[in-house]
Amino acid sequence: MTTLPPVVAVALVVAVLTVGVYGVAVVDRLVSAVVAGWMVSAGEALAAPLRAVAVAVTRQPVTTEAPDRILWVLAPAAYAGLAAAALAVVPLAPGVAVTDVRTGIVVFGAAEALAIVAIFLHGWAPNAPLPLIAGYRFVGVALSYELLSMFVLIAAAIPAESMSIGAIVESQAGLWNVIRQPLGLPLFLIVAAGVTFLGPLDVVDSTDLAGGGAAEDSGMQHLAWSAARAAMLIAFSAASAAVFLGGWHGPVLPAAVWMALKTAGVATVLVGARHVIARVSPERFVRWAWTVLLPLAFLDLVIAGMASL
Amino acid sequence: MTGVDVAFWVFALAAVWSGYRVFRTDSMVRASFLLLASFLNVGAILVLLLAEYLGTALLFMMTVEMVVMALFMVMFMMNPAGLNPMEMVHQPRLAAVAGVVTTAGLGLVAVVVDFPDAPVDPAAETIRALGTELLGGSMLVFESAGVTLLATMVCAVILSAARGRYGDGTAGSVAPPLEPGGDHRPEDDLVGDGGGGHHHHGGH
Repeated sequence: MTTLPPVVAVALVVAVLTVGVYGVAVVDRLVSAVVAGWMVSAGEALAAPLRAVAVAVTRQPVTTEAPDRILWVLAPAAYAGLAAAALAVVPLAPGVAVTDVRTGIVVFGAAEALAIVAIFLHGWAPNAPLPLIAGYRFVGVALSYELLSMFVLIAAAIPAESMSIGAIVESQAGLWNVIRQPLGLPLFLIVAAGVTFLGPLDVVDSTDLAGGGAAEDSGMQHLAWSAARAAMLIAFSAASAAVFLGGWHGPVLPAAVWMALKTAGVATVLVGARHVIARVSPERFVRWAWTVLLPLAFLDLVIAGMASL
Repeated sequence: MTGVDVAFWVFALAAVWSGYRVFRTDSMVRASFLLLASFLNVGAILVLLLAEYLGTALLFMMTVEMVVMALFMVMFMMNPAGLNPMEMVHQPRLAAVAGVVTTAGLGLVAVVVDFPDAPVDPAAETIRALGTELLGGSMLVFESAGVTLLATMVCAVILSAARGRYGDGTAGSVAPPLEPGGDHRPEDDLVGDGGGGHHHHGGH
């Protein structure tokens, strides 16, 4: 197995995230149009992200009274950086990863946990009521699904006998984890929806808090935060494809193409969920997460453990 | 000086600096996350020492712990949202003396003791060795501690749950008096049918 030089691999992660963020914005525009019953031409959808950038650049920056300016500015950078760190341990084709470390799923889990800090601080920093409420509400919800992610990732590591994501992909040559461990992917997608706060789990930047965590963001700041959120969505999509959907395994097409198709497919499902599934009540979700989802994650571990005996 | 040496010094200085800042800042939330920054740098040093699993596990364990800590401190400290400036040290003189003595003691140990120099082979199966230790020789100790902690967490969640098998967790709670030593006014209660804000019981 050949490995890419680190410089090339880092450039590849940046390229994947850039294309991915653009793609997420285009798909978001298309899905929102379809759901609303509007007509939208392909050219219009492709131009939508650029138009959003133009609007953000020309908008007047506003600020709040006594914000924590450093945290406020750095939060989107931290969030995007964590997306890149998470993607760095996901091989995009055999041997093509920044670093397919032996502790791949632990690094991914750490990036995911640190994203909670970035999202919370992004709400805390403006020193304003609505973002603050959103930040605290997010932490309450996030703590209830954080364990799910670790359990389903550990379950995927059992048949691979390794915590490296490359080894987990290799272990799915015969049978994909989505069939072998049917509970894994749905639970992981719930975590993905939570960490990128979209659709049913948009408890952060939601309309019931007038924009919540991003209520005081303006112009470029808002753009950076949206882009970072889309980057995290791509990192989660790539991890879902690698850990549960067999990664680069597939007939006829080259390995990297399969991986790209699966990642794009998962990302489209997540973006679609944003428009077709209503937001759940945070309180109800927390109860549901501890009493239903967590036992399901345990069951997923038991299934994986029994199968490997 | 290799790249690893440079990385070590960067992480070590960042860990010490953010640890120092914990006590110099004026907010619970900032203090929690500066402490987290310190831990993250220590985790990175563990990874440099090829304790990859311990280092990366430290990253996510400490992250979740500090998030919980920040949340609960703000909830219990009556400092709205952790935004109001407040002193981060208690008994500053004693704390300063204890800090200087501890730092000097540990520093002396670090300088005087002749530590063994046993570089780890990067290809060594350190994670497997750790797993064998945890689930082999030390299994009884670790499993007992693990199950005890799990039971504690489950019990804490049950005790703090709003609704339990013995009814509402808020049953019988009364509002504090507005004046110190004043009388309890049932109409201030947020729960129960004492009059509060919710008049949907119909049967009064």
